[in-house]
Amino acid sequence: MQKRPETPLRYQEEGNVHLDFHGAVNTTIDFIVERYGVEVLHEIFAKVGRDVYVDLRRHMLEGHPEELVRHWRHFFTRENADYDIAVSEDEIVLTVRRCTAYHHVAKISPSVSAHFCDQTTKVNEAIAEGTPYRIDTEITGPGACRQIIRRRA
Amino acid sequence: MIPSDHFTRFYNEVFKFLESKGQEDLDLYWLEISKNQEKHILDLIRTKGLQGMYEYWSVIEEEENCELDLMVDDEHLELHMHGCPSLAKVMDNDAAPMTRYCDHCAGWIGPIMDKTGYHLVYDVISRTEPRCVMRIFKDADKAKEAEKSVQLLMGWPGKKAAT
Repeated sequence: MQKRPETPLRYQEEGNVHLDFHGAVNTTIDFIVERYGVEVLHEIFAKVGRDVYVDLRRHMLEGHPEELVRHWRHFFTRENADYDIAVSEDEIVLTVRRCTAYHHVAKISPSVSAHFCDQTTKVNEAIAEGTPYRIDTEITGPGACRQIIRRRA
Repeated sequence: MIPSDHFTRFYNEVFKFLESKGQEDLDLYWLEISKNQEKHILDLIRTKGLQGMYEYWSVIEEEENCELDLMVDDEHLELHMHGCPSLAKVMDNDAAPMTRYCDHCAGWIGPIMDKTGYHLVYDVISRTEPRCVMRIFKDADKAKEAEKSVQLLMGWPGKKAAT
């Protein structure tokens, strides 16, 4: 049987990448936390998860976390991160050994915000909110993490 | 990680929050982004002037996948954006666009031109079309003259223009 061609991701991207945007994210995180507090920052990330990644949420709601796996593969590959994804019956684990975003910011900015990785944790939480899955993000070192999708108990 | 490809959609959410707080909050943010951008462009301007700006926006054209024409002479730099990926992504978005999304460009570039003694004339044309014209002059009078022919002139912190 012929394999059905994959539909493009909702926000599929081609062409070059502009990694300096990660520096602007870092600046923004510090600006928001200093002026408005970390809860506001987390609410902005939650909006990104809920309102921007509507399609990923829809897939999670419909029982298709593999769309998020495609999203991870597409963007971590585009940014040349060192990562792998293990899919088993019980869980899907993204292991990031070298996050391009974190290390690019470390290279171009005076410091990496203490809240830099909140973008991952909070966007993941918002994508999974109200779906049959949860996404746990464990920061395992500077620019390293594990992101785990599991069915809720 | 929010992919760098998706930065503009995150930026859009930040703008919407700041707009809800007021113009002063947006201005302070653009000044912060402007300060952040100095590390990428300030030395180029100080050492090479308009040619340094040309170099900076040539890199942006390539890395950000812009459709634009760029020209420079001894008096000014001119950038014609025909396909702005930043606004295009914000419009192609499941979240609502911030209505004044385009204002951020002049918002960060203007303060750098003020600081380096150049004169920015930023014509956004329309806030819902991914195109604009940016002109940067050495001479203030030439910039004033150029302002007369714009369709939607942008201001920045310290310089009021469009509303």
